[in-house]
Amino acid sequence: MSNITANNVLFIGAGANDFGREAEYDAAIYQVMPELRGHGVNVYLIDENPYSLSLESLAATAIWQPLTVENIKAVIKQYQIDTVLPLFGGERALRLWSQTVQAWSHGDGPVPQTLGLTIDMLLRVNNVAVLTSMMADAGLPVITNHVAKAQEDANELLREIKLPLMVRALHPNQANTRQIVERLDEFETAVNSAKSQSMTQEIVISRAINGMKEVSLEVLRDFRGNKMQIGASEDMDPIGIHTADSLSVSPTLTLSDQILEKMRFYAFQVADLLDLRGVLHVQFAVDDLTNTIYIIKISPYIDQMASRMALVTGYPVMLVAINLAMGVALEEIVLSHDFGKKMAMMEPMMDHVTVKLPIFPFGELEQAGVSVNRQLNSIQKSVGSTIGFGRTFIEALEKAIRSAHFNNASFSPTNMSHSSDDALIQQLIHPEDNRVLLLVEAIKRGYEIDELAELTNIDEFFFYQLGHLLKLELEVEQQADSVEALRRAKKYGLSDGLLARFWQTNFKNIATLAHENHIEPTFKALEPSAGEFPENARQYYATYEEENESLPVSDDTVLVIGSGAFRMGDAAAGGYATTIVLSELRRLQYHTVIMNNNASDATLLQNLADKQYLEPLEISDVMKVVALEKPIAIIVPGNRRKLIDALTDLKQNVLILPKEKHVPNGPDDTETEFALNVFSDGHNIYPINITQHMTGELRIVPEIAQLPIQLAQTHLENPGVYQVIWYQDTSEWVKHVDVPDISHDTWLRPMPFGQVAFMSKVMQVQWLRMTVRALLSRMTLQDNELLVNVNKLILQADVAMIASDINYALHLQPTQTIDGTRFEIGVGIKYDE
Amino acid sequence: MKRHLILEDGTVFEGLGFGAPATTFGEIIFHTAMTGYQEIITDPIYDGQMIVFAMPVIGAAGIHAEAYESVKPAIRGMIVHDLAEVSVNRQRRMNLDRFLKQHNVPGLYQVDTRKLIRHLRETGPQKATIVDFADDHAVDQLVATVLTNKQVQNTATLKPYANPGRGRHIVVIDFGLKHGILRMLGDYDANVSVLPYTTSVDEVLTLDPDGIILSTGPGDPRSLPDSVLTLIRVLQTKAPLLGIGLGHELFALANDATLAPLSSEHHGMNHPIQEIISRQIFFAMQGQGYAVDNDSIDRKKLFVTYRDLVDGAVQGLRHREYPAFSVQFFPDAAPGPLEATAVFADFFETVEDYVEHHS
Repeated sequence: MSNITANNVLFIGAGANDFGREAEYDAAIYQVMPELRGHGVNVYLIDENPYSLSLESLAATAIWQPLTVENIKAVIKQYQIDTVLPLFGGERALRLWSQTVQAWSHGDGPVPQTLGLTIDMLLRVNNVAVLTSMMADAGLPVITNHVAKAQEDANELLREIKLPLMVRALHPNQANTRQIVERLDEFETAVNSAKSQSMTQEIVISRAINGMKEVSLEVLRDFRGNKMQIGASEDMDPIGIHTADSLSVSPTLTLSDQILEKMRFYAFQVADLLDLRGVLHVQFAVDDLTNTIYIIKISPYIDQMASRMALVTGYPVMLVAINLAMGVALEEIVLSHDFGKKMAMMEPMMDHVTVKLPIFPFGELEQAGVSVNRQLNSIQKSVGSTIGFGRTFIEALEKAIRSAHFNNASFSPTNMSHSSDDALIQQLIHPEDNRVLLLVEAIKRGYEIDELAELTNIDEFFFYQLGHLLKLELEVEQQADSVEALRRAKKYGLSDGLLARFWQTNFKNIATLAHENHIEPTFKALEPSAGEFPENARQYYATYEEENESLPVSDDTVLVIGSGAFRMGDAAAGGYATTIVLSELRRLQYHTVIMNNNASDATLLQNLADKQYLEPLEISDVMKVVALEKPIAIIVPGNRRKLIDALTDLKQNVLILPKEKHVPNGPDDTETEFALNVFSDGHNIYPINITQHMTGELRIVPEIAQLPIQLAQTHLENPGVYQVIWYQDTSEWVKHVDVPDISHDTWLRPMPFGQVAFMSKVMQVQWLRMTVRALLSRMTLQDNELLVNVNKLILQADVAMIASDINYALHLQPTQTIDGTRFEIGVGIKYDE
Repeated sequence: MKRHLILEDGTVFEGLGFGAPATTFGEIIFHTAMTGYQEIITDPIYDGQMIVFAMPVIGAAGIHAEAYESVKPAIRGMIVHDLAEVSVNRQRRMNLDRFLKQHNVPGLYQVDTRKLIRHLRETGPQKATIVDFADDHAVDQLVATVLTNKQVQNTATLKPYANPGRGRHIVVIDFGLKHGILRMLGDYDANVSVLPYTTSVDEVLTLDPDGIILSTGPGDPRSLPDSVLTLIRVLQTKAPLLGIGLGHELFALANDATLAPLSSEHHGMNHPIQEIISRQIFFAMQGQGYAVDNDSIDRKKLFVTYRDLVDGAVQGLRHREYPAFSVQFFPDAAPGPLEATAVFADFFETVEDYVEHHS
């Protein structure tokens, strides 16, 4: 059915994690590679990210190489690649492929075909000025762009266009950021910053449209020109705050059908203009009082919106996208039995509300004494996000906040009451990460909603909702132990924990009171027909309604607790770990249920577990799922101490996936950190190897690691990979190191998931799968054989893990340098020359 | 205030009342559209019905002058999960609660609408009532109530009226006309005459129309007098004709096709509709409990132009001899996707062609 002829297809991965680049691309590639194999082609993947799941997939030949034009060209030559799929690697892969094509010379042979977009279009997509004028020529509502190179040209434009202005880089070398210039004295800095991001030192200046609503639409198009809308979301925060840093709601709630249909029409026109075969994310600026709409950005590739829409609608965006790229018509797409028969061509409808809440790294940095600029603006500061699902906006918001696990003081409601009115107004105008609480505080102080809406450019609807929440909380607080109050509180998503705090008791008493009065959660299926058709739903969320739709999966279910949103630290590898655990459990033929709330990794893919609960991960949320599913075991990441204690307390069979509670420290410039890495199967400890870690780089020491006597006698109850850490004042890479006396000046900790992922790839030993087998006493003879000899397995590794080039200065403006291996967001690799 | 929804099969749902505190009776259906609640509740096709919305939060977009499909709500009741109230202020002069109160239409919120929809998806539409107390008396009342089948008579105009323009002269036969059709005709600057469905052939022809539209409308077309079919049979030979919704069903009946109930009613805008000749898929607002029976179509007279790809239902017909065609879906995009408005472009192309060659 495909109209494409392809034999050897290459995916270009997204590379290291970064601001705006979580694991959505890796998850998408991981999901679609087996589907592509079903089309009878050989699948290849090049990526550098040590945390990549796709690199470990059996559906493809994986090439673990730094993402460079040279490497891509070499791979194409070596494997006779005839087809390239850059759209699943996001903006960076797209740019890389454009560069590769531009660097193609006559002797390189024919250029492989590009699926999804023509090369010509790809090059235009990468040039914002060309793209904008192309859309303007087609009559689409865009804001005129002006390109400048010299400061004088920029100054000339400054006289022409009125403030505020938006300044961006043309041909950006990394992710493109938009800087808003509101005052004249900010102009030069913004110009210089944008220039430094541009490969050609050129910048794009346009009129800023701060204060309008930001709305996103996700649409798709097949080769016949059939188009369909997948979903839409509206940001609570106006334009001027980066969309990733905004609280965002899907479906849209405050927009009229007429406005949305107009946007849909524009998005379809863009898809046609690009002759796209795939999915497209269009960002709009909207003023719904004057019916003004501008297209502000188009992304004709997989991005966070695509993976978020897949999760919140239940529509298999990625599987459809690969079929579209392969030239299958929308009506001919055949999905696996996991999905409804006609699902691919029906526009998904939602009968639930979802709220996406950004996660900022401020708390982690503050704890380490690094202060950063917390003011939200057009440059992304968040590093992850979490999603709350409910039947009302308030319920979804409450669940998103709970999922976010805020632990920093600025999120404490009592903290708010100390700010003066002036400070409050200032913060309303210049919002920081705690703005939701700030809005509540403003309502509490009696500001008129009209005024607040005008001041903040946030739709009145949100103030009414927050006002409603405030009223509810105050009422509930005053009615301790009231069953009616409890019922109302539960309906709006207030947690047992929060109620316990209001009523000065503990969550168990709240749970008991609810149970005694039959106030029980009901689980609703998340499926894209909004109840119109019976679908094979596997995804559920909790709410307090009449009908429960979720039935227990089996009597041998293992429940896996996900690691939630990405945070600064090694949580970027958390999704990798959870996914591998699920995959291994399935291989061992357990029934699996996963709880998580992160749209940006693979953990919630529909076919990875028998059931997904899209829920916060606090004890009360977990116990509600436990009560229904009655799992034989619950696998919890080791950093969730409180959850582990509470579950153990409630007589649950908890299996701990070893993980440190705190962000791992790293060495500073003058020292080196050594680690003796070992595996515990719960009975014995086996040496693996020794690693050396200096600022920004981690290497394997080429010698056979031996187990010190004291360690051999230690008992590590929880199976997993651990490391003995010690520091030395060296700044040289060594070929040999003596393990010190481990009774002092060393400490033992679980190996961070990121290093586990790296080590698994280097050694071709699936350490997390082995951990799962050990946890469930399912170790095999081969496992034991391997463990006995593993320290001889690899003596010299030619690959090192390196901190990736993340522009912390741009995103966070920290007072001191942020060390990329210490406060890690993403890492890459480097091979010995 | 606590109120109740009772279905004819005895199922009871509890919720909180909004809008008018009145008791109401009607046929209950569910709607999956996520936007356009104002257009939907004012669309005359829903005359006499109660609508359950799958979209869980309703009301946040307010009530706006440009989103009326008729000047008052057509529905008898509205059931939603969460009513998101917006204030009435300088910019927003009306909200949903106030609008329903003003027109004496009750609403019910905080209902497990997903449970209700999953129930209705199995039973099909039923008689239902919204009352304060779900007692035996209320159930007896519901059982005893006979719902009217005179919805067209309730909503269609009794007298002719004009909506003047400077373009082609289009006669609209009104079976419960919605504003969206007039708005579309306005886009083409059509000179519009709206006539009651009881009008005679002569009355239409003396107006010398360049094109004729059979409007949308509520209820079962088979409850209309046969004179309507006779009228259509003559008119389709005289000028380009477009039937929409109920107008499409009447066009089919006039050409000897029959109607059959759909296995499940469809009210929403997410079903792929395919134009058979081009294979193009698009989406449109749909609201139908019946479809033209595919096997009943006399292929010598009519051919199928559009199909719903989900259930295969006929979505459009065209006459082989005359410039007459019809669509089951609503091409006026009020609410609904704009791509469906291409139907009006087709119609006006036919009209231009007709004017050029026949006058």
